[in-house]
Amino acid sequence: MVHLSSFLLKTYHGGHVVIRLALGGATNRPFYRIVAAYNKRARDSKYIEQLGSYDPLPNIHNEKLVAFNYERIKYWIACGAHTTKPVAKLLGLAGFFPLHPMTITEAERRQKAASIEEVKTDSQEQVEEAL
Amino acid sequence: MLFTTSPSIPCGSLKGGSSIHSRSDIIYSMAASSFTRCLVRSYFCVKCVDHVQTRLQTTTRMFCVSASRSSFVDAPKAQFTDTEVQDILTKITGLDLKKVFRPIRQQLTPPKYKLVTDTELEEAVRKAEEQAKHLLKMPPVLPERKPINDVLYEDQMLEGMDTAKYVFTDINFNVPHRERFIVVREPSGTLRKATWNERDRLIQVYFPKEGRKITPPPIFKEENLRVVFEQDRHEDVLNQCIVQFEPDSAEFKNVLMLTYEDIEKHGKYDLLRSTRFFGGLTWHLVNGRRIDGLLVDMLQRDLMQDAVRLVHLFNLVHPQSESAQQAQTQQATDLDLLKIYAQYESNRAGFIELAVQTCEQAKALSSF
Repeated sequence: MVHLSSFLLKTYHGGHVVIRLALGGATNRPFYRIVAAYNKRARDSKYIEQLGSYDPLPNIHNEKLVAFNYERIKYWIACGAHTTKPVAKLLGLAGFFPLHPMTITEAERRQKAASIEEVKTDSQEQVEEAL
Repeated sequence: MLFTTSPSIPCGSLKGGSSIHSRSDIIYSMAASSFTRCLVRSYFCVKCVDHVQTRLQTTTRMFCVSASRSSFVDAPKAQFTDTEVQDILTKITGLDLKKVFRPIRQQLTPPKYKLVTDTELEEAVRKAEEQAKHLLKMPPVLPERKPINDVLYEDQMLEGMDTAKYVFTDINFNVPHRERFIVVREPSGTLRKATWNERDRLIQVYFPKEGRKITPPPIFKEENLRVVFEQDRHEDVLNQCIVQFEPDSAEFKNVLMLTYEDIEKHGKYDLLRSTRFFGGLTWHLVNGRRIDGLLVDMLQRDLMQDAVRLVHLFNLVHPQSESAQQAQTQQATDLDLLKIYAQYESNRAGFIELAVQTCEQAKALSSF
Protein backbone atom coordinates (compact mmCIF):
# COMPACT_ATOMS: atom_id res chain seq x y z
CA MET A 1 0.00 0.00 0.00
CA VAL A 2 1.40 3.39 -0.90
CA HIS A 3 1.10 6.09 1.75
CA LEU A 4 0.00 9.00 -0.40
CA SER A 5 0.23 12.09 1.74
CA SER A 6 -3.27 13.29 0.91
CA PHE A 7 -4.65 9.78 1.47
CA LEU A 8 -3.16 9.71 4.96
CA LEU A 9 -4.59 13.09 5.78
CA LYS A 10 -8.29 12.50 5.14
CA THR A 11 -9.12 14.10 8.48
CA TYR A 12 -6.22 16.51 8.32
CA HIS A 13 -7.14 19.12 5.76
CA GLY A 14 -4.40 21.39 4.54
CA GLY A 15 -1.71 19.48 6.41
CA HIS A 16 1.16 17.48 5.02
CA VAL A 17 3.99 15.26 6.14
CA VAL A 18 7.29 16.97 6.93
CA ILE A 19 10.78 15.67 7.51
CA ARG A 20 12.14 17.83 10.30
CA LEU A 21 14.36 17.93 13.37
CA ALA A 22 12.74 17.06 16.71
CA LEU A 23 14.74 18.42 19.65
CA GLY A 24 15.69 16.20 22.57
CA GLY A 25 18.58 15.91 24.97
CA ALA A 26 19.18 17.87 28.18
CA THR A 27 19.96 21.43 29.35
CA ASN A 28 22.79 22.92 27.28
CA ARG A 29 23.02 19.63 25.43
CA PRO A 30 20.77 19.51 22.34
CA PHE A 31 20.23 16.38 20.27
CA TYR A 32 18.00 16.21 17.22
CA ARG A 33 16.08 13.30 15.75
CA ILE A 34 15.31 13.50 12.05
CA VAL A 35 11.68 12.58 11.92
CA ALA A 36 8.78 12.22 9.49
CA ALA A 37 5.76 13.81 11.19
CA TYR A 38 2.56 15.64 10.40
CA ASN A 39 2.96 19.34 9.83
CA LYS A 40 0.58 20.50 12.55
CA ARG A 41 1.92 18.26 15.31
CA ALA A 42 4.05 19.70 18.12
CA ARG A 43 7.76 19.65 17.36
CA ASP A 44 8.70 16.88 19.82
CA SER A 45 5.47 14.95 20.00
CA LYS A 46 4.24 11.82 18.24
CA TYR A 47 5.87 11.29 14.85
CA ILE A 48 5.21 8.80 12.07
CA GLU A 49 8.74 7.43 11.73
CA GLN A 50 12.25 8.29 12.84
CA LEU A 51 14.57 8.62 9.89
CA GLY A 52 17.84 9.47 11.59
CA SER A 53 19.60 11.65 14.11
CA TYR A 54 21.82 14.71 14.28
CA ASP A 55 24.21 15.60 17.08
CA PRO A 56 25.11 19.31 16.83
CA LEU A 57 27.98 19.15 19.36
CA PRO A 58 31.27 17.81 17.97
CA ASN A 59 32.80 14.73 19.66
CA ILE A 60 36.39 13.93 20.65
CA HIS A 61 37.38 13.49 17.02
CA ASN A 62 35.80 16.86 16.10
CA GLU A 63 32.97 15.19 14.23
CA LYS A 64 29.27 16.03 14.20
CA LEU A 65 27.49 12.72 13.79
CA VAL A 66 24.52 12.63 11.44
CA ALA A 67 22.61 9.48 10.58
CA PHE A 68 20.16 9.16 7.67
CA ASN A 69 18.00 6.25 6.58
CA TYR A 70 18.16 7.12 2.89
CA GLU A 71 15.75 4.39 1.80
CA ARG A 72 12.97 5.65 4.04
CA ILE A 73 13.69 9.31 3.27
CA LYS A 74 13.28 8.48 -0.41
CA TYR A 75 9.98 6.75 0.38
CA TRP A 76 8.57 9.68 2.32
CA ILE A 77 9.64 12.22 -0.28
CA ALA A 78 7.95 10.02 -2.86
CA CYS A 79 4.79 10.17 -0.72
CA GLY A 80 4.88 13.95 -0.88
CA ALA A 81 6.72 14.92 2.32
CA HIS A 82 8.37 18.33 2.57
CA THR A 83 11.75 18.92 4.19
CA THR A 84 12.53 21.84 6.46
CA LYS A 85 15.49 24.15 5.90
CA PRO A 86 17.95 22.56 8.36
CA VAL A 87 17.15 19.07 7.09
CA ALA A 88 17.59 20.23 3.49
CA LYS A 89 20.93 21.80 4.43
CA LEU A 90 22.14 18.62 6.10
CA LEU A 91 21.05 16.49 3.16
CA GLY A 92 22.84 18.92 0.85
CA LEU A 93 26.04 18.60 2.86
CA ALA A 94 25.65 14.82 2.75
CA GLY A 95 25.47 14.85 -1.02
CA PHE A 96 21.96 13.39 -1.14
CA PHE A 97 20.38 16.72 -2.18
CA PRO A 98 22.13 19.43 -4.17
CA LEU A 99 23.86 21.99 -1.95
CA HIS A 100 21.48 24.43 -0.28
CA PRO A 101 22.07 28.02 -1.43
CA MET A 102 22.09 29.29 2.16
CA THR A 103 24.98 26.96 3.00
CA ILE A 104 27.02 28.61 0.29
CA THR A 105 25.86 32.09 1.30
CA GLU A 106 26.78 31.46 4.93
CA ALA A 107 30.17 30.11 3.94
CA GLU A 108 30.81 33.22 1.81
CA ARG A 109 29.70 35.51 4.64
CA ARG A 110 32.06 33.78 7.04
CA GLN A 111 34.94 34.01 4.61
CA LYS A 112 34.26 37.73 4.16
CA ALA A 113 34.10 38.26 7.91
CA ALA A 114 37.32 36.30 8.35
CA SER A 115 39.14 38.39 5.71
CA ILE A 116 37.93 41.67 7.28
CA GLU A 117 39.24 40.41 10.65
CA GLU A 118 42.58 39.65 9.07
CA VAL A 119 42.86 43.08 7.50
CA LYS A 120 41.98 44.66 10.85
CA THR A 121 44.61 42.72 12.79
CA ASP A 122 47.22 43.42 10.08
CA SER A 123 46.58 47.15 10.24
CA GLN A 124 46.68 47.04 14.07
CA GLU A 125 50.03 45.27 13.97
CA GLN A 126 51.37 47.84 11.50
CA VAL A 127 50.28 50.68 13.75
CA GLU A 128 51.95 49.00 16.76
CA GLU A 129 55.18 48.51 14.83
CA ALA A 130 55.22 52.14 13.71
CA LEU A 131 54.98 53.31 17.34
CA MET B 1 23.53 -46.16 33.17
CA LEU B 2 25.87 -43.46 34.30
CA PHE B 3 25.71 -40.31 36.34
CA THR B 4 26.80 -37.29 34.39
CA THR B 5 26.65 -33.60 34.94
CA SER B 6 24.74 -31.59 32.43
CA PRO B 7 25.83 -28.04 32.08
CA SER B 8 23.30 -25.72 30.60
CA ILE B 9 24.65 -24.44 27.36
CA PRO B 10 22.02 -22.13 25.99
CA CYS B 11 23.49 -21.36 22.62
CA GLY B 12 22.10 -17.85 22.28
CA SER B 13 19.82 -17.47 19.33
CA LEU B 14 20.09 -14.45 17.05
CA LYS B 15 19.47 -11.39 19.12
CA GLY B 16 17.01 -8.78 17.98
CA GLY B 17 19.71 -6.15 17.82
CA SER B 18 22.20 -8.08 15.72
CA SER B 19 21.94 -7.21 12.07
CA ILE B 20 21.84 -9.69 9.22
CA HIS B 21 24.75 -8.92 7.02
CA SER B 22 24.32 -10.89 3.84
CA ARG B 23 21.90 -13.38 2.35
CA SER B 24 24.20 -16.38 2.59
CA ASP B 25 24.99 -15.39 6.14
CA ILE B 26 21.35 -15.82 7.17
CA ILE B 27 21.63 -19.53 6.43
CA TYR B 28 24.77 -19.86 8.54
CA SER B 29 23.24 -17.97 11.45
CA MET B 30 20.04 -20.01 11.30
CA ALA B 31 22.10 -23.15 11.65
CA ALA B 32 23.99 -21.67 14.55
CA SER B 33 20.90 -20.65 16.46
CA SER B 34 19.40 -24.09 17.00
CA PHE B 35 19.43 -25.05 20.65
CA THR B 36 21.68 -27.98 21.56
CA ARG B 37 21.95 -29.51 24.97
CA CYS B 38 25.34 -31.07 25.43
CA LEU B 39 26.24 -33.50 28.13
CA VAL B 40 29.87 -33.43 28.98
CA ARG B 41 31.59 -35.71 31.40
CA SER B 42 33.10 -33.04 33.58
CA TYR B 43 32.54 -31.86 37.08
CA PHE B 44 32.33 -28.18 36.27
CA CYS B 45 29.47 -26.07 35.08
CA VAL B 46 30.15 -24.74 31.64
CA LYS B 47 28.06 -22.10 30.00
CA CYS B 48 28.39 -20.95 26.42
CA VAL B 49 29.26 -17.31 26.61
CA ASP B 50 26.86 -15.17 24.65
CA HIS B 51 29.59 -13.25 22.95
CA VAL B 52 31.16 -16.51 21.77
CA GLN B 53 28.03 -16.87 19.66
CA THR B 54 28.37 -13.38 18.26
CA ARG B 55 32.02 -14.12 17.58
CA LEU B 56 30.93 -17.21 15.69
CA GLN B 57 28.50 -15.07 13.75
CA THR B 58 31.33 -12.69 12.94
CA THR B 59 33.55 -15.48 11.75
CA THR B 60 30.79 -17.05 9.69
CA ARG B 61 30.12 -13.65 8.15
CA MET B 62 33.77 -13.20 7.35
CA PHE B 63 34.00 -16.66 5.83
CA CYS B 64 31.50 -15.52 3.21
CA VAL B 65 33.70 -12.53 2.40
CA SER B 66 36.94 -14.50 2.27
CA ALA B 67 35.64 -17.03 -0.22
CA SER B 68 35.33 -14.31 -2.83
CA ARG B 69 38.60 -12.56 -2.01
CA SER B 70 41.06 -15.44 -2.23
CA SER B 71 40.27 -16.28 -5.83
CA PHE B 72 42.76 -13.98 -7.51
CA VAL B 73 46.06 -15.23 -6.01
CA ASP B 74 48.42 -17.51 -7.97
CA ALA B 75 46.77 -20.88 -8.50
CA PRO B 76 49.43 -23.54 -7.68
CA LYS B 77 50.21 -22.10 -4.24
CA ALA B 78 47.86 -23.38 -1.53
CA GLN B 79 45.58 -20.80 0.09
CA PHE B 80 44.23 -20.70 3.63
CA THR B 81 40.71 -21.36 2.40
CA ASP B 82 41.48 -24.53 0.36
CA THR B 83 39.56 -27.56 1.60
CA GLU B 84 42.73 -29.63 1.86
CA VAL B 85 44.55 -26.99 3.87
CA GLN B 86 41.58 -26.46 6.16
CA ASP B 87 41.31 -30.23 6.61
CA ILE B 88 44.92 -30.53 7.68
CA LEU B 89 44.68 -27.56 10.02
CA THR B 90 41.53 -28.86 11.74
CA LYS B 91 43.12 -32.28 12.27
CA ILE B 92 46.27 -30.73 13.72
CA THR B 93 44.21 -28.56 16.09
CA GLY B 94 42.89 -31.66 17.79
CA LEU B 95 39.68 -32.05 19.71
CA ASP B 96 40.37 -32.14 23.44
CA LEU B 97 36.85 -31.84 24.82
CA LYS B 98 38.10 -31.13 28.31
CA LYS B 99 40.01 -28.10 27.12
CA VAL B 100 37.36 -26.75 24.75
CA PHE B 101 34.65 -26.88 27.38
CA ARG B 102 36.75 -25.84 30.31
CA PRO B 103 35.03 -23.27 32.51
CA ILE B 104 35.07 -19.71 31.24
CA ARG B 105 34.71 -16.98 33.81
CA GLN B 106 30.91 -16.82 33.89
CA GLN B 107 27.94 -16.77 36.16
CA LEU B 108 27.73 -20.26 37.59
CA THR B 109 24.57 -22.26 37.90
CA PRO B 110 24.55 -25.38 40.05
CA PRO B 111 25.29 -28.48 37.97
CA LYS B 112 22.43 -30.66 36.79
CA TYR B 113 22.84 -34.41 37.09
CA LYS B 114 21.06 -36.72 34.69
CA LEU B 115 20.64 -40.47 34.68
CA VAL B 116 21.21 -41.76 31.14
CA THR B 117 21.63 -45.01 29.25
CA ASP B 118 24.86 -45.84 27.45
CA THR B 119 23.42 -45.03 24.03
CA GLU B 120 22.18 -41.69 25.24
CA LEU B 121 25.60 -40.97 26.67
CA GLU B 122 27.26 -41.74 23.33
CA GLU B 123 24.73 -39.52 21.60
CA ALA B 124 25.52 -36.76 24.07
CA VAL B 125 29.27 -37.09 23.53
CA ARG B 126 28.73 -36.97 19.78
CA LYS B 127 26.68 -33.80 20.13
CA ALA B 128 29.37 -32.34 22.34
CA GLU B 129 31.95 -33.08 19.66
CA GLU B 130 29.84 -31.31 17.05
CA GLN B 131 29.47 -28.34 19.33
CA ALA B 132 33.21 -28.36 19.94
CA LYS B 133 33.86 -28.38 16.19
CA HIS B 134 31.60 -25.37 15.88
CA LEU B 135 33.50 -23.59 18.64
CA LEU B 136 36.78 -24.47 16.98
CA LYS B 137 35.99 -22.69 13.72
CA MET B 138 39.14 -20.82 12.70
CA PRO B 139 39.17 -17.05 12.35
CA PRO B 140 39.83 -16.29 8.68
CA VAL B 141 43.16 -15.14 7.26
CA LEU B 142 42.36 -12.38 4.79
CA PRO B 143 44.62 -10.01 2.87
CA GLU B 144 44.97 -6.66 4.58
CA ARG B 145 42.29 -4.17 3.59
CA LYS B 146 43.37 -1.35 1.33
CA PRO B 147 42.90 2.20 2.68
CA ILE B 148 39.95 4.17 1.30
CA ASN B 149 40.94 7.44 -0.36
CA ASP B 150 37.82 8.20 -2.36
CA VAL B 151 36.87 11.85 -2.74
CA LEU B 152 33.33 12.42 -3.99
CA TYR B 153 33.18 16.23 -4.28
CA GLU B 154 35.58 19.11 -3.89
CA ASP B 155 33.71 22.32 -3.08
CA GLN B 156 36.07 25.20 -2.40
CA MET B 157 33.15 27.58 -1.99
CA LEU B 158 32.18 25.79 1.24
CA GLU B 159 35.52 26.46 2.86
CA GLY B 160 35.29 27.74 6.41
CA MET B 161 31.58 26.98 6.78
CA ASP B 162 32.19 25.11 10.02
CA THR B 163 35.03 24.15 12.33
CA ALA B 164 33.93 20.52 12.74
CA LYS B 165 33.56 17.65 10.29
CA TYR B 166 30.13 16.25 9.46
CA VAL B 167 29.95 12.46 9.29
CA PHE B 168 26.90 11.02 7.51
CA THR B 169 26.01 7.37 8.04
CA ASP B 170 23.36 5.36 6.27
CA ILE B 171 21.35 3.59 8.97
CA ASN B 172 19.33 1.35 6.69
CA PHE B 173 18.96 -2.02 8.41
CA ASN B 174 19.05 -4.16 5.27
CA VAL B 175 22.46 -3.01 4.02
CA PRO B 176 25.51 -5.17 4.85
CA HIS B 177 28.09 -3.25 6.87
CA ARG B 178 30.71 -3.53 4.17
CA GLU B 179 28.48 -1.75 1.67
CA ARG B 180 27.20 0.95 3.97
CA PHE B 181 27.63 4.57 2.84
CA ILE B 182 29.63 6.56 5.37
CA VAL B 183 30.82 9.93 4.07
CA VAL B 184 32.63 12.81 5.74
CA ARG B 185 32.27 16.50 4.87
CA GLU B 186 35.47 18.24 5.92
CA PRO B 187 35.56 21.93 6.97
CA SER B 188 37.49 22.57 3.76
CA GLY B 189 34.43 21.54 1.78
CA THR B 190 35.58 18.17 0.41
CA LEU B 191 33.13 15.29 0.62
CA ARG B 192 35.08 12.05 1.02
CA LYS B 193 34.38 8.46 2.00
CA ALA B 194 35.22 7.59 5.61
CA THR B 195 38.45 5.71 6.42
CA TRP B 196 38.31 2.14 7.73
CA ASN B 197 38.86 3.23 11.34
CA GLU B 198 36.07 5.79 11.13
CA ARG B 199 33.80 3.21 9.52
CA ASP B 200 34.40 0.65 12.27
CA ARG B 201 33.82 3.24 14.97
CA LEU B 202 30.59 4.59 13.48
CA ILE B 203 29.15 1.16 12.72
CA GLN B 204 29.78 0.28 16.36
CA VAL B 205 27.98 3.52 17.40
CA TYR B 206 24.85 2.86 15.36
CA PHE B 207 24.85 -0.96 15.30
CA PRO B 208 26.59 -1.94 18.49
CA LYS B 209 28.01 -5.44 18.72
CA GLU B 210 28.34 -7.09 22.09
CA GLY B 211 31.84 -7.10 23.49
CA ARG B 212 33.21 -4.55 21.02
CA LYS B 213 34.33 -1.19 22.37
CA ILE B 214 34.36 2.03 20.34
CA THR B 215 38.01 2.78 21.13
CA PRO B 216 40.20 -0.34 21.24
CA PRO B 217 41.04 -1.25 24.87
CA PRO B 218 44.61 -0.61 26.03
CA ILE B 219 45.35 -4.34 26.28
CA PHE B 220 46.29 -4.28 22.61
CA LYS B 221 49.23 -1.95 23.15
CA GLU B 222 52.62 -3.65 22.91
CA GLU B 223 53.76 -3.15 26.52
CA ASN B 224 50.49 -4.51 27.89
CA LEU B 225 50.59 -7.43 25.48
CA ARG B 226 54.01 -8.36 26.82
CA VAL B 227 52.64 -8.47 30.37
CA VAL B 228 49.73 -10.64 29.29
CA PHE B 229 52.00 -13.04 27.42
CA GLU B 230 54.11 -13.51 30.51
CA GLN B 231 50.98 -14.65 32.28
CA ASP B 232 50.33 -17.20 29.51
CA ARG B 233 46.96 -15.70 28.63
CA HIS B 234 47.35 -15.72 24.87
CA GLU B 235 43.97 -17.23 24.27
CA ASP B 236 42.09 -14.52 26.17
CA VAL B 237 43.89 -11.81 24.22
CA LEU B 238 43.07 -13.53 20.94
CA ASN B 239 39.42 -13.94 21.87
CA GLN B 240 39.17 -10.27 22.71
CA CYS B 241 40.99 -9.38 19.51
CA ILE B 242 38.48 -11.31 17.41
CA VAL B 243 35.56 -9.52 19.06
CA GLN B 244 37.12 -6.09 18.80
CA PHE B 245 38.67 -5.93 15.33
CA GLU B 246 37.64 -6.90 11.83
CA PRO B 247 39.61 -9.88 10.43
CA ASP B 248 41.21 -7.93 7.63
CA SER B 249 42.21 -4.86 9.63
CA ALA B 250 45.82 -3.97 10.28
CA GLU B 251 45.43 -4.03 14.08
CA PHE B 252 43.95 -7.53 14.03
CA LYS B 253 46.82 -8.89 11.96
CA ASN B 254 49.35 -7.05 14.11
CA VAL B 255 48.01 -8.51 17.36
CA LEU B 256 47.86 -11.99 15.86
CA MET B 257 51.42 -11.68 14.59
CA LEU B 258 52.72 -10.53 17.98
CA THR B 259 50.95 -13.40 19.73
CA TYR B 260 52.27 -16.01 17.31
CA GLU B 261 55.81 -14.60 17.52
CA ASP B 262 55.73 -14.75 21.29
CA ILE B 263 54.41 -18.30 21.29
CA GLU B 264 57.08 -19.41 18.88
CA LYS B 265 59.82 -17.68 20.82
CA HIS B 266 58.94 -19.52 24.02
CA GLY B 267 57.64 -22.71 22.42
CA LYS B 268 54.27 -22.49 24.15
CA TYR B 269 52.42 -24.25 21.34
CA ASP B 270 50.34 -26.30 23.71
CA LEU B 271 48.50 -23.22 24.98
CA LEU B 272 46.63 -22.96 21.72
CA ARG B 273 46.47 -26.65 20.88
CA SER B 274 42.76 -27.42 21.12
CA THR B 275 41.56 -23.88 20.47
CA ARG B 276 40.41 -22.22 17.27
CA PHE B 277 43.64 -20.26 16.88
CA PHE B 278 45.91 -23.22 16.28
CA GLY B 279 45.17 -23.25 12.58
CA GLY B 280 46.10 -19.61 12.24
CA LEU B 281 49.31 -20.17 14.22
CA THR B 282 50.31 -23.10 12.01
CA TRP B 283 49.52 -21.16 8.85
CA HIS B 284 51.63 -18.22 10.02
CA LEU B 285 54.58 -20.48 10.83
CA VAL B 286 54.30 -22.45 7.61
CA ASN B 287 54.29 -19.28 5.57
CA GLY B 288 57.36 -18.08 7.39
CA ARG B 289 59.03 -21.49 6.93
CA ARG B 290 59.61 -21.82 10.64
CA ILE B 291 57.88 -25.07 11.50
CA ASP B 292 60.89 -26.64 13.25
CA GLY B 293 59.87 -25.64 16.76
CA LEU B 294 56.31 -26.84 16.26
CA LEU B 295 57.48 -30.09 14.65
CA VAL B 296 59.83 -30.83 17.55
CA ASP B 297 57.06 -30.07 20.04
CA MET B 298 54.70 -32.48 18.26
CA LEU B 299 57.30 -35.24 18.17
CA GLN B 300 58.00 -34.76 21.86
CA ARG B 301 54.33 -35.29 22.58
CA ASP B 302 54.22 -38.38 20.31
CA LEU B 303 51.84 -36.82 17.79
CA MET B 304 53.28 -38.56 14.74
CA GLN B 305 50.23 -38.14 12.56
CA ASP B 306 50.09 -34.42 13.27
CA ALA B 307 53.77 -34.03 12.45
CA VAL B 308 53.29 -35.82 9.12
CA ARG B 309 50.30 -33.61 8.31
CA LEU B 310 52.32 -30.52 9.16
CA VAL B 311 55.07 -31.47 6.74
CA HIS B 312 52.45 -32.29 4.10
CA LEU B 313 50.97 -28.81 4.59
CA PHE B 314 54.43 -27.28 4.26
CA ASN B 315 54.89 -29.07 0.94
CA LEU B 316 51.51 -27.86 -0.27
CA VAL B 317 52.25 -24.25 0.58
CA HIS B 318 55.83 -24.22 -0.73
CA PRO B 319 55.75 -26.46 -3.78
CA GLN B 320 59.07 -25.09 -5.04
CA SER B 321 61.02 -26.06 -1.92
CA GLU B 322 63.44 -28.96 -2.04
CA SER B 323 61.61 -31.19 0.36
CA ALA B 324 58.40 -30.78 -1.62
CA GLN B 325 60.10 -31.66 -4.88
CA GLN B 326 61.82 -34.71 -3.37
CA ALA B 327 58.54 -35.88 -1.89
CA GLN B 328 56.93 -35.49 -5.30
CA THR B 329 59.59 -37.54 -7.06
CA GLN B 330 59.63 -40.28 -4.43
CA GLN B 331 55.86 -40.23 -3.78
CA ALA B 332 56.65 -40.39 -0.07
CA THR B 333 54.05 -40.85 2.62
CA ASP B 334 54.03 -40.73 6.43
CA LEU B 335 57.39 -41.08 8.10
CA ASP B 336 59.34 -40.81 4.83
CA LEU B 337 57.96 -37.29 4.43
CA LEU B 338 59.40 -36.43 7.83
CA LYS B 339 62.75 -37.91 6.88
CA ILE B 340 62.90 -35.96 3.63
CA TYR B 341 61.96 -32.77 5.39
CA ALA B 342 64.57 -33.37 8.07
CA GLN B 343 67.18 -33.97 5.40
CA TYR B 344 66.58 -30.95 3.25
CA GLU B 345 64.91 -28.12 5.08
CA SER B 346 65.17 -28.47 8.81
CA ASN B 347 67.71 -26.95 11.21
CA ARG B 348 67.14 -29.59 13.83
CA ALA B 349 67.60 -32.55 11.56
CA GLY B 350 69.16 -34.73 14.24
CA PHE B 351 66.27 -34.57 16.64
CA ILE B 352 63.67 -35.21 13.96
CA GLU B 353 65.52 -38.22 12.56
CA LEU B 354 65.95 -39.67 16.04
CA ALA B 355 62.24 -39.25 16.76
CA VAL B 356 61.33 -40.89 13.44
CA GLN B 357 63.61 -43.84 14.22
CA THR B 358 62.08 -44.35 17.69
CA CYS B 359 58.63 -44.24 16.16
CA GLU B 360 59.54 -46.84 13.56
CA GLN B 361 61.00 -49.09 16.25
CA ALA B 362 57.86 -48.71 18.34
CA LYS B 363 55.75 -49.65 15.30
CA ALA B 364 57.92 -52.65 14.56
CA LEU B 365 57.69 -53.80 18.19
CA SER B 366 53.94 -53.39 18.36
CA SER B 367 53.44 -55.33 15.13
CA PHE B 368 55.09 -58.42 16.64
